[in-house]
Amino acid sequence: MDLNEQQLDMLKEMGNIGASHAATSLSQMLMCEIEMTVPEVSVIDISQVSEYFGEEISAMVVFEIQGEIQPAGYIVCHVPRMSAIRLTNTMLGSTDEDREFNEMDESAITEIGNIMISHFLDATAELLGVVMLPSPPMVTIDMALAAFENILAQVTSGDINEFILFSTELKSVNNDIKSTIIMLPEEQTLVQILRLLNNLINPEI
Amino acid sequence: MDKKNETGSRGENVGIGEYKTGITKISSIGLGSCVAFILYDRKLKTGGLVHVMLPDSNGKSERPGKFADTAVPLLVLEMEKRGSSRRSLSAYLVGGASMFQQFKGNLDIGKRNVCALREHLIELRIPIESEDIGGTSGRSVNFFPEDGGKITVRRADGKCYEL
Repeated sequence: MDLNEQQLDMLKEMGNIGASHAATSLSQMLMCEIEMTVPEVSVIDISQVSEYFGEEISAMVVFEIQGEIQPAGYIVCHVPRMSAIRLTNTMLGSTDEDREFNEMDESAITEIGNIMISHFLDATAELLGVVMLPSPPMVTIDMALAAFENILAQVTSGDINEFILFSTELKSVNNDIKSTIIMLPEEQTLVQILRLLNNLINPEI
Repeated sequence: MDKKNETGSRGENVGIGEYKTGITKISSIGLGSCVAFILYDRKLKTGGLVHVMLPDSNGKSERPGKFADTAVPLLVLEMEKRGSSRRSLSAYLVGGASMFQQFKGNLDIGKRNVCALREHLIELRIPIESEDIGGTSGRSVNFFPEDGGKITVRRADGKCYEL
């Protein structure tokens, strides 16, 4: 799976639009400023995943992308454990960071993930002119790599040994909160997304 | 070709679909639904580990370490190349968790991976000495062939134990 410069740029731009909508929603929920990194798009071999995800305990909120393209792939909101705790604290006006991750954190993070990802998908779907909806969220608090492996197994069956990792980091500097939005499209979805983006740039007359 | 060394792994950590054999420490981190399939040779104090991701290759064996049905014969062959006899091999399985309660039924890849590995080990008459499988928690595994085949597991909740 090779992507040329122009395709990478188009995907980054799409990520930019999606992530900025997600950032706005996060900023409204936390009532603070959110910084966003330039989206990264990389083609990764399955054997190298451990260079991107490790053993750090994180909250992973996972959604299947549903809609016109089936199966479309997955979209994930990844929040490291401490960031997740600070996120709940910020929402509830609490400051106790020295505690275990509890059920309250889990539902808070699921809801925040849900809102951010819905905004992300809404914005990208509108840009592309297709319907893309998130499935109900699936959540786990575990080693980031272990959780990611499980999702990866769904999109890299058979001969597919590479995948497109599409990630943007959203940060709240004030509260020291970090989160990453990761999109893991199925190959056919990616082909269709690229075609739609191409049509946007070079409209047929 | 690619950067892989002769044992089929590019680094310290045995990544998805990769394998490694030898006498020194072999590690695989962050196992979720994947399974670390380990073979230990009691006589030679050597061993090998494959990081298996899916149960069935359906005949597509471009990367044999990735699938249970091809990983078993692959690792046995690699151990035989190192002078092992099949009779002195014991197998160990670590991983195969179900990370998301919502991935049910056919999607419980962890369970299917473990079942497939067991099945193929029975075919080759290699006994499973011990296993730490299932559950809902990720694991990291360290295997020390020269140290009597010691295997240590660290779970996501912080619990560490020897297999």
